[in-house]
Amino acid sequence: MMTYDILIVGSGGAGLYAALESRMEEELQVGVLTKVYPTRSHTGAAQGGVNAALANLDETDTWQDHWFDTVKGSDYLADQDAVEIMTREAPMVVREMEHWGCPFSRTDEGKIAQRPFGGASKPRACYSADKVGHVMLHTLYEQGIRHGVNFFNEWLALSLLHDGKRCQGVTALNIQTGRVHTIRAKAVILATGGHGRIYWTRTSNALGNTGDGTAMAYRAGLPIKDMEFIQFHPTGLRRTGILVSEGARGEGGYLLNGLGERFMSRYAPEKMELGPRDLVSRSCETEVREGRGGPDGEVFLDLTHLGADRIKERLPQIRELCIEFEGVDPINEPIPIKPTAHYSMGGIHTDLNGQTPIEGIYAAGEAGCVSVHGANRLGGNSLLDILVFGKRTGRHALEFARNNDLVPLGMDQEKADEAMIAAMMAGTSGDSVADIRRAMGELMAEKVGVYRNAKDLESAVDTLAELQERLGRVRVQDKNRAFNTELVSALEMKNMLDLAEVVTVGALARQESRGAHTREDHPERNDQAWLAHTLATRGGDGKPKLEFNPVTITQFEPQARTY
Amino acid sequence: MSETITPDRKSILANIRIQRFTPGQHKSAFYDNFKVSVETGMTVLETLRLIKNTQDSSLTFRAFCRSKICGSCAVRVNGKPVLACSTQLMPILEDFKKESVTIQPLRNMPVLRDLVVDIDPVIEKLSKMHPYLMENRDRIPESLEQESLMSRQELSRFDYITDCILCGSCYSACSAASADPKYAGPLTLAKAYRFSADVRDDFKGERMQAAVDQGLWSCAQCRKCINVCPKDTRPAVSIQRMRKMSIDDGIHDTPGSRRAKAYTEDVAKYGQVNKPMLPVIVNGPKGWAAIEAADNYLRKHGIEPERQVCLLDGQNSAEQIYDKVKEIESKGENKI
Repeated sequence: MMTYDILIVGSGGAGLYAALESRMEEELQVGVLTKVYPTRSHTGAAQGGVNAALANLDETDTWQDHWFDTVKGSDYLADQDAVEIMTREAPMVVREMEHWGCPFSRTDEGKIAQRPFGGASKPRACYSADKVGHVMLHTLYEQGIRHGVNFFNEWLALSLLHDGKRCQGVTALNIQTGRVHTIRAKAVILATGGHGRIYWTRTSNALGNTGDGTAMAYRAGLPIKDMEFIQFHPTGLRRTGILVSEGARGEGGYLLNGLGERFMSRYAPEKMELGPRDLVSRSCETEVREGRGGPDGEVFLDLTHLGADRIKERLPQIRELCIEFEGVDPINEPIPIKPTAHYSMGGIHTDLNGQTPIEGIYAAGEAGCVSVHGANRLGGNSLLDILVFGKRTGRHALEFARNNDLVPLGMDQEKADEAMIAAMMAGTSGDSVADIRRAMGELMAEKVGVYRNAKDLESAVDTLAELQERLGRVRVQDKNRAFNTELVSALEMKNMLDLAEVVTVGALARQESRGAHTREDHPERNDQAWLAHTLATRGGDGKPKLEFNPVTITQFEPQARTY
Repeated sequence: MSETITPDRKSILANIRIQRFTPGQHKSAFYDNFKVSVETGMTVLETLRLIKNTQDSSLTFRAFCRSKICGSCAVRVNGKPVLACSTQLMPILEDFKKESVTIQPLRNMPVLRDLVVDIDPVIEKLSKMHPYLMENRDRIPESLEQESLMSRQELSRFDYITDCILCGSCYSACSAASADPKYAGPLTLAKAYRFSADVRDDFKGERMQAAVDQGLWSCAQCRKCINVCPKDTRPAVSIQRMRKMSIDDGIHDTPGSRRAKAYTEDVAKYGQVNKPMLPVIVNGPKGWAAIEAADNYLRKHGIEPERQVCLLDGQNSAEQIYDKVKEIESKGENKI
């Protein structure tokens, strides 16, 4: 049986940072298991910046300012002790990335360059042109090669193993061969990223952001937290959900409905297109709901009035993106857009060291929830989260692995997983993963999306149960075990449906509007009743059971969130 | 006054011809044809996904980010390596004036299944290249309380290479990699240069040796890698710069560096390359065998061999070009 001291599931920024932190100090065997190749992880898609109060651009910036901005941005749902750690340690982790060779853009004096970002009171987003996530991910991978991290590329983790108290390891599918294996480990770190794909085509996320680690933890009885909070970005491309960055509106782009009206005048007559993300997303959605959308339920981001020269000079990347991914040249015609699911604030419940209630099982990054983003994440804080908590989790797992032995482990789960896959692959059926997936995405976008209400959410819970039944009947048509991507999709589908249910049940329970969660039937934030984290565990009946934990408030009393 | 927006969206019924192969199941690769209604805005990747979702769920390809940053989905479309996710299909159908397009896996790597190739051999070559920064303690402080400073100009020496997403398109197009499977390939050598050109690095010597050992001088400078790179990282340019760096660092004892030196020195001296002497300069005394063979061949055809380099008029123009090059070089290696 394969045995590691520390096994990390997921190879994005959090997983790789954790691997480096646990690998550097001593001769422990550290493995990183990923369903892609490490440099393909979704961390690479982050374009804008990573926040740290380096004060390179504005010397008055402090980590305490960053702390407050983050807490306010979270609509006061973030735990303030966790945010304090993240913002205080931010300069260290960013400098460590820099020392490892990460090519940040530079100021005139040769320091790390910083730019202003939404919700931040000072310019503190450290950047590398428009590719900061990409260069961070590659830097971490390169250092991983240097320090002898073992990579399991194109392996899909299936089940998380523990004895009720201590971590035992995981089972995983080798995608290239199609075989299931048990991997023993003293510590497992789940760093599998978010679950934006529960909205299927209505997301900016990678095809594989299916919440695998979060779903594994949930099925293994661990609590998952604040799952109802999903951040929507207002301007995703119509076909693919790929983001058109805020720069296009900053440069003077108009938002038009299908009738050609500049509709933001109805919702934010002063700020117009430059209102906060959540407000703009809701406005776009309202136009479509009230029948003023385009032929495909879209609205339009119009740049044509800026003229070819200005578009070519100031927005060349946005233009390229529209041509390549949507087949539309913004010089000639308006860009069709839809609000798109962008970030999962919720995830596996952990303490400040990334530890779950089961000893030796950890989670970090978008898969985890410490919580530092609360009800709404600020731009530039997701990359920071993966660095700070990837590192802390790696360090804590290292200590744990150093001081503990392996726990006995049988082959039962491997046999059960193998049997499940064999059953999925036996015979034929009329239902396909693709159909169920599309139905789930449409349902989630329509009923558990930007706007929510009790009636829609209740019907969504019922529909999701039907989809679960349909998934049980799905048979994989491709009968070859080697590199069977249809099988992988079916396994991911199972993860997504489990999480979609928790998101929906959480959204139904939370009778208030806070951050990214907007209830039409409960439009106000309600601190008396709902200044609390939602913890979901899987009940004996397979349905999520909810509990609520108080929010940690150490410094900033909740106030109205206005900008 | 506002006007209703009516986007111009069309659709063509196209034939998508895809190379298929599953080792152990098929004896050799073959093609399947799929009829697909291609709409304005559809990428090659969307087309592949549509076929998988509606016609043949066993069609196998890689894809992840769908936004040109992860490098998973590189395939060949009508022979050219591209990222499936950022390649619009409609313009290709219109350009080729036919309703058919061929999709194949990348070349120079073994096929695992259909459009999926095994990139591990390339990753192994990359790993041997020391593709990471080793801290130069003159530039990088020990403490995390301080940043290391780097000017924009220092960054610009290698920043363009950090756009590389390891998609393998250049490796697929590389003529040296198809001629010699041991050759490291464009992306790996470019990555070696990226770190060696970084003022914060302190490992240039070992990395240079790794690059020389893995074929730094085998690149034919055909520049196909430059044509196909979806991120415009220009690997062949980095390879050139890595070669120059190796010579500047005093690694003069490889056939490639000797040839490069002879070329530049000859042109400076004569205005042209002293070709008859190249075999000896590159391969040492055993190069005489090649010269003798050439002499014999010429004599056999009634031509008397000439050892003299004839000098051409306008020799000082060559000198002027050299001076200009030195002037540009002294300003540093910015992205051209």
